[in-house]
Amino acid sequence: MYDPLHGVDGQVRDIWIRDGRIVDAPSDPAVRPDKVLDAAGLVVMPGGVDMHCHIAGPKVNAARKMRPEEKRKAEHIMRTSKTRSGTMGSTPSTFATGYKYAGMGYTTAFDAATPPLAARHVHEELEDTPCIDKGFFVLMGNNHYIMRSIQRKEPERLKTFIAWLLGAAKGYAPKLVNPGGVEVWKQLPSGNVHGLDENVEHYDVTPRQIIEATARGANELKLPHPVHIHANNLGMPGNWATTLETMKTLGDTRGHLTHIQFHSYGGGVGDQDTFNSKVVELAEYVNTHPNLTIDVGQVLFGKTTSMTGDGPLGYYLSNIYHTKWFSADVEMEAGCGIAPIEYRDKSLVHSLQWAIGLEWYLLVKDPWRVAMSTDHPNGGSFLAYPQIIQLLMDRTFREEAIKQVHPAVRERSTLAELTREYTLYEICIITRSGPAKILGLANKGHLGPGADADITIYMPNDDKRVMFEMPRFVIKDGRVIVEQGEIREVTTGKLLHVAPGYDTSIETDIAEWFEKYYSVRFRNYPVSDDYLHDHEIIGCG
Amino acid sequence: MLTLQYNASTLVPVEVEGLTPTLVRNMSLPDIERFEIFNGNHKLPLAEFFTVTGDPSDARIQFEGELQGVHWIGAQMTEGEVQVRGNAGRHVGSEMTGGTIHVHGNAGDWVGGEMHGGLIHIHGNAGHLIGAAYRGSAKGMTDGTILIDGSAGNEVGHTLRRGLIAIGGSCGDFVGFSMLAGTVLLFGDSGIRPAAGMRRGTVAFLGDKPPALLGTFFRSGVSQPLFLSLYLQQLRQLGFEVPAGCWPANYRMFRGDHVALGRGELLIRETPAAG
Repeated sequence: MYDPLHGVDGQVRDIWIRDGRIVDAPSDPAVRPDKVLDAAGLVVMPGGVDMHCHIAGPKVNAARKMRPEEKRKAEHIMRTSKTRSGTMGSTPSTFATGYKYAGMGYTTAFDAATPPLAARHVHEELEDTPCIDKGFFVLMGNNHYIMRSIQRKEPERLKTFIAWLLGAAKGYAPKLVNPGGVEVWKQLPSGNVHGLDENVEHYDVTPRQIIEATARGANELKLPHPVHIHANNLGMPGNWATTLETMKTLGDTRGHLTHIQFHSYGGGVGDQDTFNSKVVELAEYVNTHPNLTIDVGQVLFGKTTSMTGDGPLGYYLSNIYHTKWFSADVEMEAGCGIAPIEYRDKSLVHSLQWAIGLEWYLLVKDPWRVAMSTDHPNGGSFLAYPQIIQLLMDRTFREEAIKQVHPAVRERSTLAELTREYTLYEICIITRSGPAKILGLANKGHLGPGADADITIYMPNDDKRVMFEMPRFVIKDGRVIVEQGEIREVTTGKLLHVAPGYDTSIETDIAEWFEKYYSVRFRNYPVSDDYLHDHEIIGCG
Repeated sequence: MLTLQYNASTLVPVEVEGLTPTLVRNMSLPDIERFEIFNGNHKLPLAEFFTVTGDPSDARIQFEGELQGVHWIGAQMTEGEVQVRGNAGRHVGSEMTGGTIHVHGNAGDWVGGEMHGGLIHIHGNAGHLIGAAYRGSAKGMTDGTILIDGSAGNEVGHTLRRGLIAIGGSCGDFVGFSMLAGTVLLFGDSGIRPAAGMRRGTVAFLGDKPPALLGTFFRSGVSQPLFLSLYLQQLRQLGFEVPAGCWPANYRMFRGDHVALGRGELLIRETPAAG
């Protein structure tokens, strides 16, 4: 059994489950279990937790619709007596998403970018994403009400609005995507911000102010996961300076920098010849600042679809790849860009992106503060997690992989010099215990009493990719839902959300704001309780 | 030759995808009878729909009967020969890479959809989207030859990348829409907006009635392009009827579509035929 939260590192233990939760072993030896699952010789871990993926809502649906050519040629998920049919490709359909996560031993996943205006759609799709518990982050970094509150120097109003907005959307955490930059993109042709101190017209705020104020407010609300930051300048050579500034802006407040691989580049703007890794410098900062956590956003080679709330990034990518492009403006709140992309192992840039992701896993000393992600589907599919595990656990395999990519990776990153190999214990941390802790999920990511009985049992194998691709058993809420990759039972899974308290007098002002500027009436905006399926409120504080 | 006599009367589509000459050549007749095909969303043995006779070992298949409800005939075939004695459904020769298909009747939409090689000859009329890209794809037909003796529908050669499509009769709207390269020869009338959005390639109008062109095609001269005579010679060799007067003849040339890359060419035969 591997339960890092309780220091259990491959010891033989029993787990007792009652009513979907892990409980203490009964003190009375005469008590017998109703059912026994013999896991002797197997590897037992908590169910996997994906803290950053794109699996539901209008952006995912747009990507599904714009790529029929990919769907047509991808694996078809056929209907069975227990499961619904579905489609795969880089953006699987909802039911297929749930089955595939569960089949790989993951039991919880969070969609990373929901415009609150589209929250209902996300709720509906998550309800149709079976077998896993799920939640979503709410886009706030370009929200007009938030920028106005900052402009007027009203931190208390800002904090109250964050609480109201999370409660109204039934979301989980504030998400900042290219704070301020998306708003400039919406205002000007090819607009964006390129540094933390550039001005966002009309509201006269800067990205730094948005990050600082939102992080402070969210931390004061004692949210379980205060702020999830997609920093400015994603993908641009030289963006590591912006990333470092973003970290410094957070000071000692808790903050999570997501898909940090995409934000760790040295070099000059538009100059591929100087493109290089700056993970060493950034990881050193993360290692010495325990308030910071990251997920990687690992790139895997192959075709995929980029989807992001970062509207200007979507435009940038579509120009690079000369592919289809989808752009959306979510009126007062956010943007969105989608483009099919391909990562090629012969490309210098793509090879370095791949290497930079691996550097992050290997250079952050505390595995509790680095979570596995591919930013599905932006860096690759969540189905690639076993491949990443193999790269981290097997140095020989990693060295062989380095030989296959662009040779400049050896000069422009430190990957070839890194000898660290992850242990099963550490893999358990970065794939379930760590993300659960970063998300503030007290009942996930561990196997102690009180935990949700979400458990994955693997067959040991020297080939870690094989081992993690097909668990022997997956248990969700105490029920065996997967055996040897086959779905045995389909559960709905529950929605995880927060409901922070706030001073309701703010609603008068928000209502007035809505009536003036939104296309939706204030009373129609919040997602009501009766709209939710099985759900659980995760407490603040 | 393997003969498949269609004897079903279902109105629900029958799909024979995967039933290629390569597949059947090493199968026994009972195995072929058990081969599962789709009827709507039900998988059923081939023998529920077809009487199976003959010898498949020469990689030749003959379909017989009223097959307009039978789709994907010859799809993804790589070699051999398929003959259809009667009308065929949609997606004849879809994504095929080699071999020949002859339909001695009419065919539905998507004949040679994303075809990569081989020959399809429809001896009657055909539907829409001949040699076209399936929805969302970047490229349509990438090689091979499609001959339609009769008329065809809209969007013939949609996003065509390479290869030859010849239409003996008239065709509908948007012939050569968004063409990337390749050649479309049209011997009858054209519908509206021919070659809209074409980037490269050639669409030749050899019929008596010149089409109305979009304003984004610019006239660039009159010529007797020799390559056209080679195409016409090849068509005759393939058994395609080329009307008299197509060669020698003067052709007006236009360049476009300038809303796209603008390197395509349209050839319009001057009437009456010069010569």
